[in-house]
Amino acid sequence: MKKALALLLALVMVLSMAACGTSKTEETKAAAPAPAETQAATPAETEAPAAEEGKVFNIYAWNEEFKGFFEKYYTVPEGITVNWIINPSDGGVYQDKLDEALLNQENAPADEKIDMFLAEADYILKYTDSEFTQDIQALGVTDFSNTYEYTVQAASDSNGVVKGVSFQCCPSALIYRRSIAKDVLGTDDPAEVQAKLDSWDKFNAVAADAKAKGYYMTASESETFRVFSDNGTSALVDDSGKLTLNDSIKAWQAQAKDFSDKGYTLTTGIWDDECTAQMFKDGKTMCYFGPAWYFNFSMGNAQDPEKGCPGDWAICQGPQAHFWGGTWLLAATGSDNPTMLADIMDTFINDEEVCENLIKNESQFTNNQAVNAKFAADPNYGNAFLGGQNDVAVFVDLAKNIKFENKTIYDQLLCEGLQTYWREYCDGEVTEEEAMANYYKYINEKYPEIVTP
Amino acid sequence: MNQLREKAPAKHKSISYAKWGYLFIAPFFITYAIFKLYPLFLTIYNSFFENYRSGLKQVGPNFVGLANYIKLFTPDANGIIDIIKYTGNTVVLWLGGAIPQIVIALLLAIFFTSYRLNIKGQQFFKTVIYMPNLIMASAFSMLFYTLFSNVGPVNQLLMQMGIAEKPIDFFAIKITVRSLICLMNFLLWFGNTTILLMAGIMGIDQNMFEAANIDGATSTQTFFRVTLPLLTPILVYTVITALIGGLQMFDVPQVLTNGAGNPNRSSMTLIMFLNSYLKTSKNYGMAGAISVIIFIITGLLSMLVYRSLTKKD
Amino acid sequence: MNRLSDENLRARRQLKLSRFVVYLILIFLSVLSLFSFYMLIVNASRSNADLQGGFRLLPSNYFFKNLKNAWTDASINVPRGMLNSFIIAASTAVLATYFSALTAYGIHAYDFKLKKLAFTFIMAVMVIPNQVSAVGFYQMCVKLGWTNNYLPLILPGIAAPIVFFYMKQYMESVLPMEIVDAARVDGSGEFRTFNTIILPMLKPALAVQLIFTFVESWNNYFMPALLLDKAEMKTVPLMIAQLRSADYSKFDMGKVYMFILLAILPVVVVYIFLSKSIIKGVTAGSVKG
Repeated sequence: MKKALALLLALVMVLSMAACGTSKTEETKAAAPAPAETQAATPAETEAPAAEEGKVFNIYAWNEEFKGFFEKYYTVPEGITVNWIINPSDGGVYQDKLDEALLNQENAPADEKIDMFLAEADYILKYTDSEFTQDIQALGVTDFSNTYEYTVQAASDSNGVVKGVSFQCCPSALIYRRSIAKDVLGTDDPAEVQAKLDSWDKFNAVAADAKAKGYYMTASESETFRVFSDNGTSALVDDSGKLTLNDSIKAWQAQAKDFSDKGYTLTTGIWDDECTAQMFKDGKTMCYFGPAWYFNFSMGNAQDPEKGCPGDWAICQGPQAHFWGGTWLLAATGSDNPTMLADIMDTFINDEEVCENLIKNESQFTNNQAVNAKFAADPNYGNAFLGGQNDVAVFVDLAKNIKFENKTIYDQLLCEGLQTYWREYCDGEVTEEEAMANYYKYINEKYPEIVTP
Repeated sequence: MNQLREKAPAKHKSISYAKWGYLFIAPFFITYAIFKLYPLFLTIYNSFFENYRSGLKQVGPNFVGLANYIKLFTPDANGIIDIIKYTGNTVVLWLGGAIPQIVIALLLAIFFTSYRLNIKGQQFFKTVIYMPNLIMASAFSMLFYTLFSNVGPVNQLLMQMGIAEKPIDFFAIKITVRSLICLMNFLLWFGNTTILLMAGIMGIDQNMFEAANIDGATSTQTFFRVTLPLLTPILVYTVITALIGGLQMFDVPQVLTNGAGNPNRSSMTLIMFLNSYLKTSKNYGMAGAISVIIFIITGLLSMLVYRSLTKKD
Repeated sequence: MNRLSDENLRARRQLKLSRFVVYLILIFLSVLSLFSFYMLIVNASRSNADLQGGFRLLPSNYFFKNLKNAWTDASINVPRGMLNSFIIAASTAVLATYFSALTAYGIHAYDFKLKKLAFTFIMAVMVIPNQVSAVGFYQMCVKLGWTNNYLPLILPGIAAPIVFFYMKQYMESVLPMEIVDAARVDGSGEFRTFNTIILPMLKPALAVQLIFTFVESWNNYFMPALLLDKAEMKTVPLMIAQLRSADYSKFDMGKVYMFILLAILPVVVVYIFLSKSIIKGVTAGSVKG
């Protein structure tokens, strides 16, 4: 009897906890900052405009890269809590969750409205060209004199209204292992290496030499994908909604299969452990491709002097100039913190101290041409990870080539899927027809509106 | 308040108690109607519509009749009908895990209940073999992924022992991916099944065994003539629960293959297929149609189950 | 005489051998079962750099550092996740067990017109995967504003056909109707009889199903992933999924393993604590067809 009662009681308690779980946490959440705020407000009651803004600043992101920079270099106004909503980018989860929240933005309580969200080059169009983002020039971000043209273009809608900024510029380079380059090419000097790898024909020929000496040219057959895809002459999906793989992509497909068959590369994903393990001391891979963010983000573990070989790397342009990725900060329509929103964006493109710190401490290539130029010209600056090479100078040159074109809102998943399903063909597990059929099925599942062959 | 009236009829179950029966089962049925039946009807309703998300824009719902079903059963360029392929995958993956699971569990149950063997430390063994069931299936397959990855310990070991020259890509080969999924499902569930089967064996009247013993039956004879027939009901129960688990198979292959069901979609299960339409495209039309097909498959199976259960009565 | 003892000896030797084989099998399976736990603990005790270096059979000394990192992680609030998971799993387990017992008792103890139909219905729907109605379920929750709410994750537990089936079988084997009749003679109301007399008799079965349903709900990913996205409401499995998307530079595998360890710890502790009564419960409730 007692036990049954206790059980029932526990049930009622837990249930009521759960029932209130939603409403109560919100209430307490909403109520919690209040005391702190009233305390803060009493001495400085005059600050009326700040009080009009929301107390919670919500940021949607897919990883912690920007969060780290934000927390280090941005001073959040007093009384405002920054709330990060992070969902994995893999498989489009981030986009799904973000879309859901944006569609619900109107009905959400002020403190739950998205204020700012992050987006990648692969799908930024979906958001800039929609009513879910707002004009940041109206909010007071007007100085784009130092930013790279393409970053502004990417963040603008079809009428040229700017909806956000990027805190980085992402020209991508060939990142090579100095010691292996010496062995294979006889030199590790960036200019000389560049001369020996400045076309795909040379690149493919060197791959054979590398193989002969027991090295891999790349650690993934998809390593060169972005170089090819960024140099394509048409978008993955044309205006009529048809999937079209341009010649550049087809060239990558041929190279991927060729490299896999001949053992010039490992067949594995560019984010897989096997690929990143090659960056360590006992790795046998000569080339990676990536922008400045690649050093921290993808090669982070290789920076550990015990496991990796910092200093044994260098960069040059490689077979084709290209850019890859980049994170934009977009202003969400309906934000209740417009002042802070504008302030953040302005800080990350125009605050010289912040931009300098991003280069010095975080190995970034910033979206501030003046700061970049300063580092590029500084004879004392060098990136220790790259053996003292001035990477900013290389990137300044490469940045001139960036064109933001032939993008669609579908690129992230279309690229992810193509690499995944083509890899099975490279592995020899399926025929070419099967690989493509599987890829088309995948597209039909993700984007029913795209017409596949 | 009702006590007086109830007291009067007393003794055996009588009609006046019927309302209590209805009352006691009401919460179940009300809940089921709200949370399962209504959504199920909504799902079926959805399957006749074109209804998906294109970026931030919603397409539909537009009534399209059976178009979704027709699409589902249209073969691809290589002549493969997806839903049939994935049904096959699901059955193969289920059987591969369930058969060893039930056989081993049956063996263990016999060991544990055998007076002749008189196993010591039973409590320990029983506790331990159930434990994998406590690990999240997704965490479990993450662990397996790291174990069998190209740079994982299994490959390191194989190479050190000279069995393999270069890492074996376990996740690119159909047979190894499927075997790993079956192995994991086996490990997750064999302890659970053992415990259930033991319960069944211990429920058998001990006199039956003694009688068999006196009649000079060998242990094999005892097993096939006495234990197995008497164990059939509980065996049916375990097969059914294993079947339910098999049809719902999702976490293990999803995490192990990162949702791709590779290679060549040979480890894609029905629920993974359903899930792929629920995500990005929010294609409720197609997802609805797939749900209906899965529902029909399970419907057929549940009829089978119902038959086997009523036969016993 | 001599032949008999010879035979006896052979039989004994045979028994010894089969016992040896059986123990060997049991030990092998136990090792297999414990291996993943062991690997988790070992990996949770290693630093990220160490883990990148490959496989190790022996624990390292990073355990408490990982524990501290995982417990105080800024973006993934483990204690909160565990509390969330606990609220959902405990409520689901209690509801599922109690109401399944109630339903099973309703069908077991009473005669009514629709009894047979009700039983058949539950048995028929038992095999239907939950995911089949996911589309409609999600739409319903969105329409009712039930996303980011625990109720749609908890309340469906009231209708758990498998738990019901187990309870029903258990009652058939251990619950004589005479007890109910006796209670009626004593003037106990039907509902009270169930709560005070019947439930205690079902204790072993309740314990089994409590832990089974708790574990199932604690580990559930599919539905919470559809319905929850607020950080402070996420459950442990959602947090683990989120972990995999963390930065590569900060992708601390040691911490990830620690998270997983923490995620399964409560269930393991509860299980070990209850295992005796659980196994007894299952065994006592010998299911009869």
